[in-house]
Order: sequence, then structure tokens, then C-alpha cells
Amino acid sequence: MLLFLARRIGVMLFTALCLTFVVFYLTNLPAKLETLAKTQAGSRISDAEVASWLDRNGYNQPMLTRYGEWLGVVPGWTREEADGGMTGRCYRLADISEPGAAPDRCGLLQGYWGNSTRFRADVADVITARLGATGILMLWVLIVMVPMALLVGVLAGMREGSRTDRSLSTFAIASTATPEYVSGVVFIALLASSAVGISPLLVSWGVIEGPVLFQGNARSALEKITFWNFFLPVMTIALYGMGYVARITRASMTEVMTQQYIRTARLKGVSFPNIVLRHALRNALIAPFTVIMLQIPWLLNGVVIVEVLFSYPGFGWVLFEAAANNDIELLLAASVVAVVVVLLTQLISDIGYVYLNPRIRIS
Amino acid sequence: MTDQKSNAPKVHHAAKRYAQECRKGQLSRREFMTRATALGVAAPAAYGLLGLAAPEAKAQTPQMGGTLRIQMDIKAQRDPRTWDWSELANVCRGWLEYLVSYERDGSVQPVLLESWEANDDATEFTLNVRPGVKWNNGDDLTAEHVAHNIERWCDASVEGNSMAGRMSSISEDGKLRDGAIEIVDDLTLRLHLSSPDIAIIVNMTDYPAAVVHPSFTGDDPVANPIGTGPYRPVSHDTGIGAVIERNPDHTWWNEGNGAYLDRIEFVDLGTDPAAWMAAAEGGEIDMTYQTTGDFVDLLEMIGMPATEAITAATLAVRFNQDNAPYDNVNVRRALQMAVDNQIVLELGYNDRGTVAENHHVCPIHPEYADIGATPFDPGEARAMIEAEGLGDHEFELISIDDDWQAATCDSVAAQIRAAGINIKRTILPGATFWNDWLNYPFSSTEWNMRPLGVQVLNLAYRSGVAWNEAGFANAEFDALLDQANGIPDADERREVMAQIQQLMLDEGVLIQPYWRSLYRNARPNVLNAEMHPTFEVRYQSYGLS
Repeated sequence: MLLFLARRIGVMLFTALCLTFVVFYLTNLPAKLETLAKTQAGSRISDAEVASWLDRNGYNQPMLTRYGEWLGVVPGWTREEADGGMTGRCYRLADISEPGAAPDRCGLLQGYWGNSTRFRADVADVITARLGATGILMLWVLIVMVPMALLVGVLAGMREGSRTDRSLSTFAIASTATPEYVSGVVFIALLASSAVGISPLLVSWGVIEGPVLFQGNARSALEKITFWNFFLPVMTIALYGMGYVARITRASMTEVMTQQYIRTARLKGVSFPNIVLRHALRNALIAPFTVIMLQIPWLLNGVVIVEVLFSYPGFGWVLFEAAANNDIELLLAASVVAVVVVLLTQLISDIGYVYLNPRIRIS
Repeated sequence: MTDQKSNAPKVHHAAKRYAQECRKGQLSRREFMTRATALGVAAPAAYGLLGLAAPEAKAQTPQMGGTLRIQMDIKAQRDPRTWDWSELANVCRGWLEYLVSYERDGSVQPVLLESWEANDDATEFTLNVRPGVKWNNGDDLTAEHVAHNIERWCDASVEGNSMAGRMSSISEDGKLRDGAIEIVDDLTLRLHLSSPDIAIIVNMTDYPAAVVHPSFTGDDPVANPIGTGPYRPVSHDTGIGAVIERNPDHTWWNEGNGAYLDRIEFVDLGTDPAAWMAAAEGGEIDMTYQTTGDFVDLLEMIGMPATEAITAATLAVRFNQDNAPYDNVNVRRALQMAVDNQIVLELGYNDRGTVAENHHVCPIHPEYADIGATPFDPGEARAMIEAEGLGDHEFELISIDDDWQAATCDSVAAQIRAAGINIKRTILPGATFWNDWLNYPFSSTEWNMRPLGVQVLNLAYRSGVAWNEAGFANAEFDALLDQANGIPDADERREVMAQIQQLMLDEGVLIQPYWRSLYRNARPNVLNAEMHPTFEVRYQSYGLS
């Protein structure tokens, strides 16, 4: 078990290293650095000003050296200022200018995540604040999605080919075939517009007081989450994931229901609800459990679209902003977080598997 | 802001002449206001020259208190003189004020200055600092502080300091020229210009010209909010929003004439107007910073009436003359002739503006000369392109993926195509576009308005200047422009201007299809928040009824 964990963590570190290097390489292409200089120092600055800006901010060293700086294995760049003070990567991160006061190396290994150029703030602060917001969103998504998906899947898989199965399967396929950017827009038009959809009807019937039923913008959820401002983003993500998990649950359930021991139980006269709940369910949940776990990193994709669509500043939104503004260190941190999330959920699913299926051993 | 002492006895002689013309109907009142106030005539006095009383500034006085929520981009702050977006300035307007301001009626009003006078040939300007203005740290505003700010503006060694270009008549070698500022006393200073420059005061209304305290260093006016205005920042989160509140520890010089709101919340909802729409429907915003295209009507439909500002803002669909085949004047002129600007206005900007004439001088500019427009003749255009041997050449028009900018370029390209000339349209996302936008051979640039016609020409078309992405370099043009810059009298200047405009047409510098009107939507209970021609959000004078 310990060896297994150690191997998994080793893989995680290696993947993170590879991924961050790819991201680092792509964000440090000369054209990208030029964009960065222009967004930082003014979009109309000349080529000479771009060069001087890059030089003064340590971007003109070889790419590998700077990747090493970011990791913390190479000493950060320094330069003496005209007024006698020192500046450099570590001086700026620690916000000091006294020569010799800053540490030599200041990268990931030393606990410095760097500075976000887009937000002019510490990357660690930006990421934690935004991850927190996404965490709340994901929590609600899972609370809505998992029970719904399991219920739909189990009900559909209980009696393969029945009318319930056909209609629930159609629903599941439709929901998983609708990407977030479609369902989100449809939801807004249907439920959050005072001109079209059902809100004008409800207003004319006197059912609701405000102009719209749900809010088509989740910015206010940042301060206070209400049912009305959080419903649409949660449903948009949840519906998409739900269909997929429900399909897997259904497949798993139908397979279990054809097993010999289920037939034996029926022959012995066990009632149908009892068979489903006590004999079939646990075995049928093994596959969906893995899928739900794998679904979490997959949902991070959807989060980018949904958070931008509903202007909810979470992790996906930060990823979008960082990519759009070539915010190098923020993108790197975001990729580290993404790797950790993917591998951590896989780890949980592997370990959880053992408890659900005693025949499998981790060693 | 109009309670200054009258300086009517010393009215500039040119201003009196303008007044006569205005009464004769040769000059619109708006043009008269811009010209007269630029020469240092106070607005009430200027109205007086016309025999009119100054209009009441406010029809309805807002009540004190309340919170206003405004949709606007919140960008990472930096040193004010390097601001490149009006949004950056708008956040800080509550505490960083300006020496002078450009008003919706075209006049230039004193703010931290009480008044100013120009000498007859516009080479010497006397600035009188408003007495009794205090910084919110308790210091008095003095002529020395103003001089310090002007010196900051002149420092061209700071990357992206766009004020340096505006202050060229008092600069030398990229910094303030020795002896250009003479501090007469605590509240008076005199600018000695190296060449006549009628635009120097008007330039101080531009958004990077915010007046900062002498202790201000670094690049974050939000972290260090020492200013003269009645508000102070509470929070500022890039990309998310900013909150401003009335400063209870500071007595504003203009107390009682504004600062009605308790709190202003800027909300950054991204660049997609559909998201603003959703927020407006949900009652989360009270006004937009600027609304474009169909959303003006859509927001009106949900109970947020629009206000309009007629401006000289435009989209310059420019050729870059450093790139073949646009180094050939016949090619440029042919492409101009293939495009009917009226159609571009209708299709590209929903007819919300006025047709322009390809020379980037607007009828609302005081020195505009009506010299007619480029003829529209697609047949001739095709013939000229073929005569240059480019019958099979595929032109390429590159634009950013912004809604109206892309639509405008689409309709330009469609008409060129209709004339039988091959053209390809390329639309780039913002992140890619800005990287190389100065060098695209055929592309478009959004230009905001400047109060005087010579100002944009100085910034954008003079040989070798930073913002000249048209690559236009013409000695005759530069010489004429120099000449125009030294003529304070707009009528005399118009004669030179006619030559300049004609030169722009002869050289086929750009396709400049229309002048944009700008719109903003706000709820009916928001007062004094009409759209401003230079995008100002002066929330210190906004209020709720």
C-alpha cells in the first residue's frame, strides 16, 4: 500500500514536471513574451520598449534557466538598481531592495508560486481564493449530480428494455450530448430573461415578483449564494455529467441484474425492491464510483465554460483569464493544481475500489 | 465646477471673433464652446459672449446617499501617466482629479485650475491653481505640485508614458525643458512653449493626466490613494470589481456640488455583452460603462434607457504604407474608392453615427474644412487595381474579434470583393491581435476622440510617431501640421486644415468610414450619468433620484 502510494506520488510529480515544462515553453515563446510586455507596459509601446521591459524584468535569459528559477533549482536573477538597491526575482517576490536580504533561490521548492501579471497579486493567493469559489460550485454540482445520476441509472437498469429504461436512457443521452455552452445559453434564455422564456409568463401570472425567475449571472454568488443565483450554473454542469454517470450506472446495473445470484434470490422469493437495494446495488456501484471520480477532473473543463458564461470567478475563470493574458506563473500554478486534482481523484478511486470490491488488492 | 471668478474682461480676442461667427451661424455652438474655452475663456463667459446664460448644469438634484453598480472592466492598476484604457482612469476619478475637464457640450472646464490664459500666439499659458484645494492627507494643493505633475508627464523615459507626446511643446530630450515652467507664486505658474501649441490645455483633459500627490511613486494609485477628490477606494480586484466609498475624513473643495453617492461598485463581467444583459435582467447592475450594437436597444427594452454622446471616435481601417502593395498610392486610393462609407456605417455600426470622409477630421472639430469625400466608384477601383498589375492579388484585411470592429471590417471587405478585387478577411482573438497589430499591412484601429482636429493628426499620422500604424510619412504633411499647430484662430487654421485633409485624401491614407456615436444604458433613477464622449465615468457627480 505504501509502495503504491509512493509510486503514485512519484508519477504525479513527474507528470506535473512535464506538464509545467510544456506550459512554460508555450507561454515563453518570443511572441507570447511580447504580448505580455504590451499588456503590462501599454499596448502602444515600441519594439525597443518591449525589449527593455523584457530585459529589466528578467525575461531575456535562456528558457531553461528561467524554468529552473521558477522551480527553485537555479538562483533567481538579480540586478543592481541605480539607487544602490538590488532588484531581482527574489527581491520582488519578497518585496525588498536591500542587497543580500533576499534568498538566493525562490521557486516552487522554496514555496514561492510567483506573481500573477494579470492580477498583480501573489499566485498562491489568487489560486486559493479562486479554488475556494470553484470548490463550492463543485460541491453543489456533486450534491445534485451524483444522487440524480445514480437514481436514474439504477431505475433504468433494473429492468432492461422496460418503458422506464427507454425514457430515462433517452433523457440521459440527451443531457450528456448537450455541451455546457449550449445548455447554459438555453437555460439563460428560458429561465433568466425578462423578454423570452417562462419568466414573463410567471410575472404576468403573478407567481414571481422580480423580472426574472433565476439570475442569469452568478457574480452575486461570490458574496452570498442563494438558490436563485446559483441554480443555473450548478444545473448546467450537473446535467452534463449526470447523463454520462447515469449511463454507466445503468450498464453496470443491467449486468448485475443478469447475474446468477440475482436469479437465485428471485427464485427464493426475495421481493424485487429488496433484490435491488440489498443484493444488486453495491455491486452495481463499483463502475460508477470510478467514473464519478474520473468525472471530477473532467468537470474542471466544464467549469471553464460555465464560470466564464455566468461570470463566476472561480478556478476555470482564472484559467481563462490567465490564458487570455499570457499570465505565465498563474498558468503554471493552475497546471500544477490540475495535475494534482486529476491524480488525487484517481488515487481515491483506486483505493475506494478496494473497499467496494474485496477481490481487488492493492500491493 | 462653474463657480470660478469671471475673467470676462480679459477675453481672448479670437474668442470674440468666434462669438460673432457663432451668432451669424457660421459656427455651431458646440464648436464655439470648444474653441473659446481652449483659449481660457470660462464657460459662463463664453456663453455670455453669445448673449446667453450658461445652461443649468443639473435639471434635477440627486438625493444624498445610495449605491450605484456599474459594469466596467477592472484592469490591473498602474502609474496614471501610462494608463492606456479609460477604465483605469475611471476607477480613480473619485480621488484623482484633473486640472481641467472636457465636457459633453464641447467646452473645457476648470477643475483643479481656477482659470488659465493664453497669449496671442499660443506660446505662453498662465495657469491659476484653484485656491483652497486640499489633498486628502491634509496638504494644500500648490503650483509646485502642479509643476511636479507636468514634469512627470514630460518624462518620456517611462515606458508607455503617453502624456510625453502630448507635452512635446514643453519637453526636450524626453524630459521637461529647463525653464519651460515658471512658478510665479504659490497658486500661479506659467508655461513657456517652444512652439505654439493650441492643444496643450485640452491635452490635460485626457485620462492619463490625473493629478497625483508629489509623494506618489510606484504604480498603484489604488494602494496609495492620496488625491484631492471626495472618494476613496475600498477594494480593487482585477477582473472582478472595485468598490469606492465617500471619504469621511476629507473635505472636498467642491463640497455640496457632487459626491452624492455613498458607494460605487464597479462590476467586471467580462467582455461579453450577453453577460451584462443577464446581470442587468437579474438586477445586479444599474448602468453600463458603454453599450454597443444591438445591446443598446436590448437594454432599453428591459428598462434601462440609453444616453448618446456624439463624438469624433472612429474606426480607422488603415493601410500600413511600409508594406507592399500598400506603399503604392494608387492601390490605397482604389481600395478607398471601392467602399461606400454610408453602407459601412449601416452594416458595421447599425447606423449609429455619421458618415466620415477618410481624412480623420470630424465636423465637430472646430477647424474642420468641408472638402468633400472620396468618390465611390467600384468600377474605377477595379480598373486601377488591374492597372497596377494586382488583378489576381489577394488582399487581406485583419481585425480583432470585437463585435462592431469585425462587422465594420466585414462590410469594408465585402464591398471591396463586390468591386471585383480579391480580398481575404482574417479575424484574430485579442490575445493574438495586439501582439503585432502595429505592423499588419491592412487592419483597423479604434480611435477615441480628441477635442481638436489637429490632435489626432499629430498623434497618428505625423512621420515616425509612436501611434502611426498607417506608416504615413510625408514631409509636406508634417510641415502643414506644424503650421496648423501654431494657429490659435480656428478659421485661419481651417485654411491650412483644408490642405491637410486634401493631402490625406490624395495620399489615400486610410478608409475611415464613420464617426461613432457612443451609448450607455442606465436605470431611470440614475442622474447625471449621461454617456461622455471620452468615456469618462465621473461618478463624483452621479446620483440617484
